[in-house]
Amino acid sequence: MSFTNISSDVVWEVVRNNNAFLVKRSKHIGGGGGVQFSRDPYNPTNLHSRKYAGFVNDKAVGVLATEKGVQVVSKKSGSANKPAASKYSVNYTKSTRKTFKSIANQTAKSGYRPDLRAAAVARASAIRRSQRPVKPTPEAKLRGNAAKKAAEKA
Amino acid sequence: MASRPTVTILGADGAATGATHTIPSVFLSPIRPDIVQQVHTGMAKNKRQPYSVSEKAGHQTSAESWGTGRAVARIPRVSGGGTHRAGQAAFGNMCRGGRMFAPTKIWRKWHIKINQGQKRFATASALAASAVPPLLLARGHQISTVPEVPLVIDSAAFDGAAYAKTAAALGLLKAVGAGADVEKVKGSKKLRAGKGKMRGRRYRQRRGPLVVYDPEVDGKGLVSGFRNVPGVETCPVTALNLLQLAPGGHLGRFIVWTSSAFKSLDKIYGTTTTPSELKKDFLLPSNIVSQADLTRLINSSEIQSVLRAPKGGKITRRGTVQKKNPLKNKQVLLRLNPYASAFQKEKLGSEKFDNGKPKPLSQSFKDVLQEV
Repeated sequence: MSFTNISSDVVWEVVRNNNAFLVKRSKHIGGGGGVQFSRDPYNPTNLHSRKYAGFVNDKAVGVLATEKGVQVVSKKSGSANKPAASKYSVNYTKSTRKTFKSIANQTAKSGYRPDLRAAAVARASAIRRSQRPVKPTPEAKLRGNAAKKAAEKA
Repeated sequence: MASRPTVTILGADGAATGATHTIPSVFLSPIRPDIVQQVHTGMAKNKRQPYSVSEKAGHQTSAESWGTGRAVARIPRVSGGGTHRAGQAAFGNMCRGGRMFAPTKIWRKWHIKINQGQKRFATASALAASAVPPLLLARGHQISTVPEVPLVIDSAAFDGAAYAKTAAALGLLKAVGAGADVEKVKGSKKLRAGKGKMRGRRYRQRRGPLVVYDPEVDGKGLVSGFRNVPGVETCPVTALNLLQLAPGGHLGRFIVWTSSAFKSLDKIYGTTTTPSELKKDFLLPSNIVSQADLTRLINSSEIQSVLRAPKGGKITRRGTVQKKNPLKNKQVLLRLNPYASAFQKEKLGSEKFDNGKPKPLSQSFKDVLQEV
């Protein structure tokens, strides 16, 4: 934060009860159990929490799905008051192993946000898994009488 | 204060003009959502129109109680006969056609007086919050394309009522990266739920950017240009209103400043030590802590230099070691049973016990066995 009257901690206290990204589910009705999620693109887990709230922190990592592969977005910490210039994004389309390695390097090895490495890699992994071609379900094998009849016919 | 941050002044095309302005002190005021919310609640009540039910409603009948002994409740009953109404209960709030409970009166306390000091504090706080991008995002403003927050546009662009037409005004907002916020408002228009629809509040939509101008320099031509852009509001810098600066009591309205309006904030609000020129006896509120960033305080050289060095090395030995399961942890297994590695390497564990067929018993053994 560029001004002395504000910090991530102050912002979090202001926005933790309600903000535009927050999705609250009822504790009683509809079986939501009172969960709190976040729609923040800079949130690698989609959980509403101080650690993962990307829009609050000066440094944050988000992982988004692209056509094939993932896009990792992060914030440049020097340009907090320049939203257009603060976004840094990298697209990864290489193999999953290399993608995860690069994400780990980007978040932790460079000392940017080591605490987000596991979450970022896990999200990238989940995205890549969802991008695999769907296997067709095998035809159901006939069993019992139906199988006998089919065998007789053949 | 060491060095006050500066803000770049943008041209009408969204590119920096090269001119900058130091940030007015009002942007360094304390951010206090509690004060803003309280003042907002009061201020929002000050535009209410009195309403009430008719004084006579439910009392336009000459009903009287029948008293006891008639095996009916003692509530007043409509007198006479010949209609269905006769004999029905009246007046009570539980009765059909009776008056409501505690009929509303036009002399309800509709308006709330708020202390001027609190109102000024809230305005200063809301202005300070409008310069914090995370709070703008938390309010739901689309600011990812905005070059800088606070967003200041050179007043020279507004010369000669250049933005008196909506198309031009919209073009300006798009050029400075505020187009996404206007688009969001456009898509948000929804039919209101409930009776408000028939009471002149048919639609509801989000709020977009607030354009703050200095009427003396920028003129009032831009008002007509911006007023038909969905969600966009305009406000002269001398008459900033908390209802616009923090709609719903939520901090962080996206504000587009003209450079003259931005510069006049110094004059209008003064600083924490020099009083405002326009507001009598007004000093900006001071922060209780001059540096709100705790991490920065902890890591500052002033603090770090007086701390004693951490004891011990980088890696400390654990005092009590957790017990490990040797059946699952190979290293612990090897410590207990060094033969385990050879056992596994030779695959002795999976070798079949095979000595061939059992040898037939010798004749002498059989003889001894069956001697008796």
